[in-house]
Amino acid sequence: MMKPAVDPLAQLTEIRAIMERSSRFISLSGLSGVGAGVVALAGAGAGHWFLRHEYGDRGYLRLLESTEQERTLVLPYLMALAAAMIGAALAVAIFFTLRRARRTGTGLWNTLGRRLAMSLAIPLVAGGLFCLALFVRGAVSLVIPGMLLFYGLALLNASKYTLDEIRWLGLTQIALGLAAMLLPGAGLLFFALGFGLGHIGYGLLMYNRYERK
Amino acid sequence: MKHVIHTLNKAFDHRVRLGVMAVLMANDAVSFNELKEALDLTDGNLASHVAALEKAGYVQVSKQFVGKKPNTTYTASTEGKGAFQDHLAALEKLLRGGS
Repeated sequence: MMKPAVDPLAQLTEIRAIMERSSRFISLSGLSGVGAGVVALAGAGAGHWFLRHEYGDRGYLRLLESTEQERTLVLPYLMALAAAMIGAALAVAIFFTLRRARRTGTGLWNTLGRRLAMSLAIPLVAGGLFCLALFVRGAVSLVIPGMLLFYGLALLNASKYTLDEIRWLGLTQIALGLAAMLLPGAGLLFFALGFGLGHIGYGLLMYNRYERK
Repeated sequence: MKHVIHTLNKAFDHRVRLGVMAVLMANDAVSFNELKEALDLTDGNLASHVAALEKAGYVQVSKQFVGKKPNTTYTASTEGKGAFQDHLAALEKLLRGGS
């Protein structure tokens, strides 16, 4: 039998690779996750320290039963802490992803990057405002579960446009958010688990899988 | 009986054309530069193959202006999508050793 002039396996593999590469943002670096996780752990530590400094030994538990006046007093500090964490985590994430994009020769702010950023940003901004409202209205124990849930849903939404691990990271955050809802006293611990260890764990997994040579 | 190799679409017998169709299948509307970046090609090379696909009726071209810059985007036509899917099916059949 004559060998066919085309190698169907090679063609199918190439087609699959092109479709994957052109529709997903694959330059996301695992080290971005590790960096964001370290920032989150530091932030959770700083929050814990601040609340103990403010309220004594009961710290976070005391915040859960605070009056409106007390909450208004600490809100600027907590907002500043949150802004610092988001800024630092984003800076680290962009630094490592930019480095990886340069190495693979793809752009960061191309159509795929923009689509990924938008699909993350919309649920995150909505979630952030919702959590702020929860805090102001006095449902403090729901703030951290809300952050984890909205973040998990944002990741799940964005995972269509990037690496598959992001979907699992999102589902992990959703599960932790639901668990945190049931154990309101352990909010800071769940924050450290989800935003800290979750990022570090999946970051290392992605780094091992795609970047280590 | 006709060997399955003859059912492979002639319009897709070049890997650049196959690549262009693959990108357009996975994305809605793609600009010339995005195509170029995705397939790592030069202007002239890509243009001739896109023109061939356009002539076959597999690719639709739409030209707009963003400010003063012309912006050309490409989408796969319904016909093109169908033809590409048939091509994939034929490749899979070849792979299974069908004749």
